[in-house]
Amino acid sequence: MGTMGLALPWRARISPTPRERGTRVEPSAPFSGGGSSAAMDAQSEDAALAVGCRSGDLRAYERLYAMHGARMKNVARNVLGNPVDAEDVVQETFLKVQRSIASFRGQSSFVTWTYRILINTCYDARRSRLRKREVANDDSEETPRPEPRAPGAHPSLRMALERALAKLSQHQRNVFLLYEVEGFRHAEIAGMLEMTETASKNTLFQAKKNLRQMLEPPRSSGAETR
Amino acid sequence: MNVTCSDRERIFEDGTPVEWAALEAHAASCPLCAEEVRAWKLLSAAAEELRHYSGSPLLWARIERALTEEAAQKTRRGERWNWFSRLPRFPLGWQTVLAGAFVLLLAISGGWIYIHGPVEPGDNDKSLLRTSALKQVESAETAYERAIDKLAAEAKPQLENPATPLLANYHEKLLVLDSAIADLRAQAGLNPSNAQLRYQLLAVYQEKQRTLEEVLEAKP
Repeated sequence: MGTMGLALPWRARISPTPRERGTRVEPSAPFSGGGSSAAMDAQSEDAALAVGCRSGDLRAYERLYAMHGARMKNVARNVLGNPVDAEDVVQETFLKVQRSIASFRGQSSFVTWTYRILINTCYDARRSRLRKREVANDDSEETPRPEPRAPGAHPSLRMALERALAKLSQHQRNVFLLYEVEGFRHAEIAGMLEMTETASKNTLFQAKKNLRQMLEPPRSSGAETR
Repeated sequence: MNVTCSDRERIFEDGTPVEWAALEAHAASCPLCAEEVRAWKLLSAAAEELRHYSGSPLLWARIERALTEEAAQKTRRGERWNWFSRLPRFPLGWQTVLAGAFVLLLAISGGWIYIHGPVEPGDNDKSLLRTSALKQVESAETAYERAIDKLAAEAKPQLENPATPLLANYHEKLLVLDSAIADLRAQAGLNPSNAQLRYQLLAVYQEKQRTLEEVLEAKP
């Protein structure tokens, strides 16, 4: 698995929590205010994490988990559709980070690098699961296991969205999940999925167009989707 | 900033905040764009349904254990190969240069030995002669050749004017043998350590000796 050579600019740091949503629009111009104290803090935090993990300090891994563990698990769960597999993948991601931290050259954010490993590990897990299913000749349709739900969530909308997402291409699904669900920027997604920022924007646009077509009910009840 | 319905999709894909604000302003007076913008935003809102950051109190404990075990394994492997780590650590570029220089040195040495080095026959290769043995063989050959030349000188009158068909045949045979000797000597000159050539040369000399003796015995 390739985990090196991310060419993501340092200023595209990943925040440990998703951004506030509302009308989420990214400025087309390069990020302004790169020297702000928040950006500097994020940068130094990221560098400290990388240094700590490189030196084998378990507390650095614990901090990485505390900051990104839940989000990583959510990414994996949405990609794999299974919370148990998601936890396995998060664990495997941490092991891969430990194994390959020496090859991390700091060309990108450490956290972006980690998420890229996570995404690749999700792909590996999916492939492995498909192979096992083929060997077992199990024809049963893969269905995500039910999971405790967040209070106030809308089960029918969630299920409808999950079904529609399952019909998207892997690329469109991943970009949609990373941008709309996890709140990553296109620059960050580009680093994780090894694509350009423009391609990420275009893929998201296509994904949303397709989802809209799939989710759009007949015009007469269109307003009742949510 | 003014936008029209035709700008809508472009703004959906890659619009700036200013363009989005202009599109929403336009949507206030355009029912079609208002519906499209609403549906577009609804998708983003719906995506939040998939964000569920559940706590996993046991997951970190699992990860920590796995990390510790793997680190311990790595340490054990490292101890096994500790002697290797004592070797000087050069940057990759220098390692490449050193490896290249070593290969070049080997190639030059091999080439020099091949071109200039003495050809020492191996113990197990009996077809090659050692230098000292070669000198002995050459001196013995020279003495043997002189002795045969003396014999040939005695037989020369009979061979130059053969009185019988038998002597004429002996004469022809000796011419063939001389020719073979000349060939073998030329080959031995090129490859003086080849014992096989020396054996063949000796056999031809012996044949010439026997033939000359028969010529002399056949004296009328």
